[in-house]
Amino acid sequence: MFNYSVRRLLTAVPTILILIVFAFYLMRLAPGGPFTSEKPLPPAVMENVLKRYGMDEPLHMQLFTYIKNIVCCFDFGPSFSQKDRSVNDIIAQGFPVTLTYGFWSAVFVLVLGIPLGIIAALRHNSFWDYLMTGLAIFSQIFPNFVLAPLMVLLFTLSWGLLPGGGWNGGQWQYIVMPAIALGTSYMAGVARLTRGSLLEVLNSPFIRTARAKGLPERTILIRHALKPALLPTLTYMGPVFVYMITGSVFIDVFFSTGGIGQDFIDGAYSRDYSVLLGLAIIYCVLTFSINLVLDLLYAWIDPKVRDSL
Amino acid sequence: MPEGTKLAEEQVFTYRVLDEFSSFDPQVVEDVNGSEVVRDLFEGLYNQDADGNNVPGVALSHTVSEDNMTYTFTLRDNAKWSDGTPVTAGDFVYAWQRAVDPELASPYAWYMELMSIENASAIIAGEKPVTELGVSAPDDHTLVVKLSQPLPYFDKMVTHATTFPAPKWAIEAHGKEWTRPGNIVSNGAYVLTEHVLKERSVRERNPMYWDNENTVLDKVVTLVIGDDAQALTRWRAGEVEKTEIPAGQYPALKEEFPEEAYALPRLCNYYFTFNLESGPEAFKDARVRKALSYAIDRQVIVDRVLQGGQFPAYTFTPAATAGFEVPAVEYAGMTQAERDAKAKELLAEAGYGPDGEKLSFTYLYNTSEAHKQVAIVATQMWKQKLGVDVELSNQEWKVFLETRGNQNFDMARGAWCGDYNEASTFLDLLTTPSGYNDGKYSNPRVDELMTEAKSSANAQPLYTEVEQILAEDMPVVPVYHYSTNMMLDDSIQGWPVNNVEQNWYSKDLYKVAE
Repeated sequence: MFNYSVRRLLTAVPTILILIVFAFYLMRLAPGGPFTSEKPLPPAVMENVLKRYGMDEPLHMQLFTYIKNIVCCFDFGPSFSQKDRSVNDIIAQGFPVTLTYGFWSAVFVLVLGIPLGIIAALRHNSFWDYLMTGLAIFSQIFPNFVLAPLMVLLFTLSWGLLPGGGWNGGQWQYIVMPAIALGTSYMAGVARLTRGSLLEVLNSPFIRTARAKGLPERTILIRHALKPALLPTLTYMGPVFVYMITGSVFIDVFFSTGGIGQDFIDGAYSRDYSVLLGLAIIYCVLTFSINLVLDLLYAWIDPKVRDSL
Repeated sequence: MPEGTKLAEEQVFTYRVLDEFSSFDPQVVEDVNGSEVVRDLFEGLYNQDADGNNVPGVALSHTVSEDNMTYTFTLRDNAKWSDGTPVTAGDFVYAWQRAVDPELASPYAWYMELMSIENASAIIAGEKPVTELGVSAPDDHTLVVKLSQPLPYFDKMVTHATTFPAPKWAIEAHGKEWTRPGNIVSNGAYVLTEHVLKERSVRERNPMYWDNENTVLDKVVTLVIGDDAQALTRWRAGEVEKTEIPAGQYPALKEEFPEEAYALPRLCNYYFTFNLESGPEAFKDARVRKALSYAIDRQVIVDRVLQGGQFPAYTFTPAATAGFEVPAVEYAGMTQAERDAKAKELLAEAGYGPDGEKLSFTYLYNTSEAHKQVAIVATQMWKQKLGVDVELSNQEWKVFLETRGNQNFDMARGAWCGDYNEASTFLDLLTTPSGYNDGKYSNPRVDELMTEAKSSANAQPLYTEVEQILAEDMPVVPVYHYSTNMMLDDSIQGWPVNNVEQNWYSKDLYKVAE
């Protein structure tokens, strides 16, 4: 398994390099640049600005310097739009925020979604099952850009229970609504996935054997059925988790959390190449590491996978 | 503050900003919201009062030499930096040299060029060292500025953030990080105490400020809220005390909160620009341009479409501009029916319209709901009144700027906000050498008048003539002049509603008990 992990990490390096090169050139294809503005800069001023950011060099040299700075000093360059800040700064401040509410959102998804799915599967075709399916469909048709304003209307304006946005150092009141708004539709997905796969597992021969041996239903569920039934959920949660902790653009903008999702938007509009590239790299690294963790989890859950590693 | 005002116990003002600030460095900052913060943190030679007039800041007064080329400012001796160091003329010299320094590469270096400070252009171009800049400090309380040409409104320009002093010792000690809370040393009424990117910033009373005694607010907080509607919701919830009004909601909010919804004149215009260089042949005929301009019912656009207290525009320069008298231009005095009739006549004369050649072109604007509405209404007016076919085309902001800047359009949307409160900040745009003249309009007489205005003691007659030429040539169609829309909690008093630049200072605000 150790060898496997090392192998995976080694393949990550060229992938990230390709991503950097690709993203670097792609971004510069978009018309306009970080210093295009309604009041165009006079040529001499523009020249100084470009020089300061090393943008007077040929593109491939800029790319080379960029990669060199990352490799040697873990320096992702200066931001073009937030002029007193470096990309390292921006990510160091924004990422913990997104990570925090993304994490709590994932907890919300799993803690609520899995039990709902289990109940529905165990009480197959009963009132509880229908209620759960109804709930799941309801929350899936409620996208977060409908749910979030609705929650603010109720919890902030009507009842005055929670602040309508902001972060304030990450106090719990500020995390509740972003986490729920972000997670609800995934929670529904998890519940339905869990229900479906648990039903399938409960009908498989090895469970029948367990029942025939006279094991109590509780033991069958917890010891034998649950682990294989959660595999699809796990597969589903991997990319969702990456999405939750990085790309929650809407949540960041709507709740003004100060997370990095906002930087994706701002960076794209203002052509802040270095911020965008930094975020793309973060996204890529996270996808890689979380998928690796997931694969290792699979191996732990499923002996068939373990043997093939 | 009126006598007997009952102040609130907690003097904290919290307001919303749309985006993270570009910088808190006075020589680097380039966005409006960032400049608001910088005006609180730093103090320049002059401040503005509630009406937009200059009042003493670090400078008490100034004298101008006979040739109008040398300004001598006398600085107060009780101004201090937040670390207790006295503010000297040398701090201004350092800051102004910094603003043009190619090394710092401030995007606002052009402002120093605009101020016509001696050698600014050569220094920016790297031809002379920064020490050659026409600014010097013969002693700690005297600042002498030499201009390369007389500029009657020079003193109006020193309320701009780019001209604020900078603490050399703090900048040298902390480098790029000198504007962080803890590192920053500032000479304004407030010091920066907290800054969380894209979330909040906090500035608190600076006890070293020379007029600290008369400052009422203790603390000012900005919250970044990217969504207009959500910002309004949070205003309703009392989480912020000031926010912008989402497009189209002003009338309803004014009815619901008559004391708290504001629409104030603002130094910005909105216009359509004809591409006179490579646009349709028809645009080269002033009669066609005038016909298109006359056929626009500006009152409908302002009252029915925008609904935010904007002003119909018949001149390029907004009426709110200081010292600017709106000249009588012919079409402003007509009724819309008269204008429509005249438009038909002009277009027919030029050989277009129902009996002539079909006129059609593309109108380009940057993607936005509000611009789209204006575009649709305008093209409908053209179609119904003149039978002109206009195709609409929209592009993302930076793509649009590039397209427009390269003259790849027939007609395009334009807007301009004044850099200082004087008509030339608008009218210069339509001179031949202007880098902002995207329609490539060129009239030697306009150029001549604007050059003359630079050194004239009374420029109004010159501006009047320019506006009259523009009304005849119609190189751009003025549509409306902007207003600032905002919700401001009625506990916050002292807002400079009559300052058209909306340069407000937290030190002039106070919070009354509700």
